[in-house]
Amino acid sequence: MNCSDVRDQLESYIADDVTDVESMRIAEHLGGCESCAAAYERTRSVVADLKGISDAFVPRDRFAPRPAYTSCPAGGWLWRTIAVAASAVAIAAVGALSVPAIARELPFGVAKEFDALEDRAEDLQQQVDELTVRLETIDGEQVAMVDTTPGDLAPEEAAAVQQLAMDFIRGQYAGDVAALEAMGTDRLKADLAARPGDYVRDGAEGLTFAQMTEPARAEDGTYLIFVRLMDSGDWSESQYQEDFEIKLIDGRYLVDFMGMDA
Amino acid sequence: MEDYELVRRAQAGDARAFTTLVRHHERSLYATAYAITRSQWDAADAVQDALADAYAGIRSLRDPDRFGAWVSRIVVNECNSLLRKRVRVVPVEEPPEPQAFVWDGPEDGMDLMRAVQRLSPDHREVVALRYFRDMKLGEIADVLGCPTGTVKSRLNRALASLEAVMCPRTEEEVSR
Repeated sequence: MNCSDVRDQLESYIADDVTDVESMRIAEHLGGCESCAAAYERTRSVVADLKGISDAFVPRDRFAPRPAYTSCPAGGWLWRTIAVAASAVAIAAVGALSVPAIARELPFGVAKEFDALEDRAEDLQQQVDELTVRLETIDGEQVAMVDTTPGDLAPEEAAAVQQLAMDFIRGQYAGDVAALEAMGTDRLKADLAARPGDYVRDGAEGLTFAQMTEPARAEDGTYLIFVRLMDSGDWSESQYQEDFEIKLIDGRYLVDFMGMDA
Repeated sequence: MEDYELVRRAQAGDARAFTTLVRHHERSLYATAYAITRSQWDAADAVQDALADAYAGIRSLRDPDRFGAWVSRIVVNECNSLLRKRVRVVPVEEPPEPQAFVWDGPEDGMDLMRAVQRLSPDHREVVALRYFRDMKLGEIADVLGCPTGTVKSRLNRALASLEAVMCPRTEEEVSR
């Protein structure tokens, strides 16, 4: 092998993308050729630095697929907000969320509220600056509560929405489809009948409510609440999130939509 | 869990398995898209759209072992489609950079990334697929639809450009 052949193969040699025979010949040449050895060292150094680039990009807002049953506008899958834990760290993380980011969490069906919410972003930003996480006991369970829209809803209204979301999740983990049906609107019932597997979580154990947002009410009256959960399922690194749209129909709060987020 | 098993589960409708697959690939896909599009906005959009397409089309992937190459091809296509559209769009004002990913590496690593972004489009693609996506020459050739020899020569020229920027040779070395 002459210098030209070796230089031509250097990149593949470094990437271990040559045959064993070629690899031996190149190594032999490099051992005896100072110029090619220097070229090898330069290329190897740049390649090593190139290979380190990917891992240095740390995801902040993460992509998560909507379950197949979710109605989404075309290309409407969203970068999802990374998990926040109920801790001091979480307060900082939640503080870093912009209100438009929260608004973009809204599932399809309230998409038209997007624009209105964005208009209010500046106003809401001031509230976001004051976001806090507090612990609340709901139905005997201590849950970290993120104040997204403090004071927006009457306390009993907020409590009813939170209670429904938690009951629904418990129903999912109990595998109680009848209970889920009873808590849902016709839209949800239809989806549940079509895809029960997307709702039932009876394989997993150790359900923990990690955190939930204070419910918000969109302009069409739909309540939005996001609940972060942990369970024993091995698929998740730590937590996942269920996003709820809840409607008040004939005096009853009913789940109209449940979507899962990473 | 290996990609192969995750792909099989995702093909059976397990969204969680797909999410885990995304976690395995998101950084390198983003780095690839950022190298090609040279814009954090476009990179985030390209990866988002590509993953949406991948999720929708995962059942069409016949060989689960080929997921990495398959999703790379989708990302490259999304990037090129975005770049074509961008030619027709006259930006009035540069929007603030999104923070889908933040750089947590050394400063000279970002210098190298910028050097990659200054390469020609053909060279950016091969460098990203080779070193960010860790693909073989043959796989890159399949993704780009060109001969392996072309990939190899593009890589050699791209690396020579990067070396010239990142570790310029001394006069003594040049004269050797």
